[in-house]
Amino acid sequence: MKWATRERIHIDRAACAWLIRRHIDQDAEFVFVADPADVPLGATPFDIPGAELSHHAGDCSFETILRRYDLDDPVLWRIAAIVHEADLDDQRYDAPEAPGLDVVLRGLSITRRDHEILRLSGPLFDGIYEYCRRALLLGREPS
Amino acid sequence: MSNGRASSREWVLLTYRLPREPSTPRSAVWRKLRKLGVAQISDGLVALPAAARTREQLEWVAEEVTDAGGIAGIWLARPASRAQENKLARAMAGARAAEYQALIAATAVAADTADPLTRASALRRLRNELRAIQRRDYFPPADRDQAEAAVQALAGLPAPQQAPDDRARETIGSVRTPADRPGRAAP
Repeated sequence: MKWATRERIHIDRAACAWLIRRHIDQDAEFVFVADPADVPLGATPFDIPGAELSHHAGDCSFETILRRYDLDDPVLWRIAAIVHEADLDDQRYDAPEAPGLDVVLRGLSITRRDHEILRLSGPLFDGIYEYCRRALLLGREPS
Repeated sequence: MSNGRASSREWVLLTYRLPREPSTPRSAVWRKLRKLGVAQISDGLVALPAAARTREQLEWVAEEVTDAGGIAGIWLARPASRAQENKLARAMAGARAAEYQALIAATAVAADTADPLTRASALRRLRNELRAIQRRDYFPPADRDQAEAAVQALAGLPAPQQAPDDRARETIGSVRTPADRPGRAAP
């Protein structure tokens, strides 16, 4: 399936792309557009103003996708909290990891292009997922 | 083109209008705009220096306005004169300066607190507050450095008498080995 989002991706879009590929569509193909009107026919837009899979009622796009696709994995919701705070910083969640992750993605957005940011941030989110999974299972920080 | 010199930068503007009632979305939008540190040009017209990030932030606010039954638009624009742009930038710097000064005053109050626990929690709060102001600080006033120094001093918990000594040492140090302290301006 084809998925489209705005170019010059940052934390929310990078995390959404990872989420889509890992949990919704493993063959996902991503297109980056400058203008919402450039979304190719048949592609599903996300994190674009006006799209269904976007910011809604205070949720960032990552949270919206979790809701729309009924993904109730608590590990994903923990990642959602981090992504939300890194993206919106509105103190809805307690996520001290957020500012650090924000800097990592901001740095990548300066030095790399969108497709490469996806390639680089994928393993990063895999690692965060595993860390959060173990933390939830153990009830404390994994070593 | 015939614009002459690169006299002004690009700004992203949000035009918006929201129904007077209900007032909840109105104040939610206003809180968001305040947090972003926008320059209010006139009623229903706010601006930020254009960048991928600021544009995106205003686009989400526009979306929120539309969701609440209002109308909103996002524009990219250049002030026609440098004077007009300077006025905008000065207003934004002035607003941040006032916030930094309030923070410095709060830091002074916290510094007078004897209880180390109370002081530690004040420090955490003030650091967050400083970070929030810096995030919306597009034209840093001198107050920014002062606020940073004040919070820093609170974190270091220096004895009152030590400050002059430190300064003296720094002066001597910077005279003898100017490259020793990168990132610090000579006093």
